[in-house]
Amino acid sequence: MKRFLFSLALCLLLLSTALPAQAAGKLIIYNWSEYIPDDVLEDFTKETGIEIIYSTYESNETMHDKLLVQKGRGYDLVCPSSYFIEQMIKEGLLLKLDKNRLKNLGNIDPKVMNLVFDPDNQYSIPYMWGTYGLIYNSARIKDAITSWNDLLRPEFKGRVMLYDDPRMTMGVALLATGSNPNSTREEDLQAAHKFLLKLRDPKNVFDVTAAKNVMVNEQSYIGGIWNGDALVAMEENADLRFVYPKEGAPLFLDSFVIPSGAINVDNAHAFIDFMLRPEIAMRSQEEYLYCTPNLETLKLLDKEQLDNRVLNPTAEDLKSCVFVSGVGEAKDLYARYWEKFITNAK
Amino acid sequence: MTENRKLKTISITIVCIWLGVFALLPNIALLLVSFLDRTETNFFIPLLTLDNYAKLLAPTFISVLLKSLALAGISTLACLVIGYPFAYILARTGERLRPWLFLLIIIPFWTNSLVRTYSIYTILQNNGVLNALLNRLGLVEGSFSLMYTNFSVFMGLTYTLLPFMILPLYASIEKLDLRLLDAAKDLGAGPVRAFWHITLPLTLPGIAAGSILVFLPSLSLFYVPEILGGINYRLLGSFIQYYFSKGNNWPLGAAASSVLTLLLILLALFYRLASRHTDDGGSPVALTGGKRPKAGGRA
Repeated sequence: MKRFLFSLALCLLLLSTALPAQAAGKLIIYNWSEYIPDDVLEDFTKETGIEIIYSTYESNETMHDKLLVQKGRGYDLVCPSSYFIEQMIKEGLLLKLDKNRLKNLGNIDPKVMNLVFDPDNQYSIPYMWGTYGLIYNSARIKDAITSWNDLLRPEFKGRVMLYDDPRMTMGVALLATGSNPNSTREEDLQAAHKFLLKLRDPKNVFDVTAAKNVMVNEQSYIGGIWNGDALVAMEENADLRFVYPKEGAPLFLDSFVIPSGAINVDNAHAFIDFMLRPEIAMRSQEEYLYCTPNLETLKLLDKEQLDNRVLNPTAEDLKSCVFVSGVGEAKDLYARYWEKFITNAK
Repeated sequence: MTENRKLKTISITIVCIWLGVFALLPNIALLLVSFLDRTETNFFIPLLTLDNYAKLLAPTFISVLLKSLALAGISTLACLVIGYPFAYILARTGERLRPWLFLLIIIPFWTNSLVRTYSIYTILQNNGVLNALLNRLGLVEGSFSLMYTNFSVFMGLTYTLLPFMILPLYASIEKLDLRLLDAAKDLGAGPVRAFWHITLPLTLPGIAAGSILVFLPSLSLFYVPEILGGINYRLLGSFIQYYFSKGNNWPLGAAASSVLTLLLILLALFYRLASRHTDDGGSPVALTGGKRPKAGGRA
């Protein structure tokens, strides 16, 4: 009995030492999976002595719900997409940034600053942006693909891949049916939903995690994909081609924000500033192949990288592309039609 | 002796607290939330409603439920058909070999089931392992995929849940008194008849336990059908997961989850009823009483 009590006490003692680590030297990051290279995190810790605790999500929706439930507590740094930031500001989930502490802020392209979702960038600092374009297998599809409506061609039945990300995939459906990917009109969403229903074949894949794999292994021949994922897939399967469809493609911009309940606010600022350094931003870009908004980083790229239109789209490529932004009250409409599609409701 | 009893009291108390805090309380909370309303910005608000259950009566949920039940039923049957002979052979294997066979059943559990599901994906996918093997053997030409089919889903569920069927079956087959089979043979029963009238009824508790252990997880294991089956296999588990993580409707998710819990309770009650029935229904178990010799102990 004594031995039992002793071991119980020992366990409690161990637990108590494990729980409150040095609160001063920590930074809890909640980020998209595969978005910051491990060695960049290690270098930050080496330089500053700040220990990083890192966890990941696969969708904005999951991240948002978790922060909402925890009332903004639990994390020091998060990286939502632009269209979630507006809403999170309204919900009081974000902390105003102290821009005096961000010495490298001047590196960021003014084109991605002061956007509608966060005028003056009081809450968010851009990290990476990208396109959600068309990918297809040129060995299986001989003619040039130029339009989202090609997804509907009967010969691709069961061979289409799209993400299970509501705003990206609804965005594609809206563009394909001639609307803006940020439309708030119910008729537009209805038409988009109809478009998606035509793609509801059991062998079509709607899965962001499986996306690269199904394109590389030719489970699917055509689909929508983030440009970073596309470049990774193209390295493994040389037949894959990435195009900017004539209707345009949804664009995303992910930014660093500090949740309102963050504890290590100073460390979060230090980390954002670290990530704004040109050579650090370059390492993220080279690893995950999304577009960097860091103008100084662009100067470091070589000609081959700059000429790669998947990695570095031209103004012509982006002509009809649209940043996915917050839709305010229409958020519920989007949720309703997406849910109808995903659960196959009549 | 009192020391021993104290230890017992303490450990039982700990187990009760553990189950109370981590199983009972969350389920009660879930049940409560399922009767609450929600708003755009609040996961739930203290306003009682039956709306969530009313929504579950919609054709969408009913079809998801029926499809989930059918899938779970067929997987359970598949596990039973594969697991019964497996457990039978296991129970009749010599003492030296048996632990090794058990080890082989247990080893896959050391790997996370998500990883195992993705390895099935790697095997079945287009240009995957199976594809390459059959090409090499010259049995098929070109690429083919078994992914996103009924087959891939059944394979995933059966593979993941088979041990849950084998272990309880083994336990009840191993207990089987072989003298009864000898007696049946002496009295002129063929092997089929002996199996039907003796082995099967006596191992019924094992069949029931195994079936429940397979049936329930296959209703709620959302990732296996989702990863291997794709868009058409977003079943009950995915439905609940969707409303909690992305669909922003906790009360509806909680209501669906409560339906699942209710199903579980009903099945558990059914199992108790069934096992009580076999215990005092005048079956051969009652004849041999509690003193059944171990399989190895006959001579």
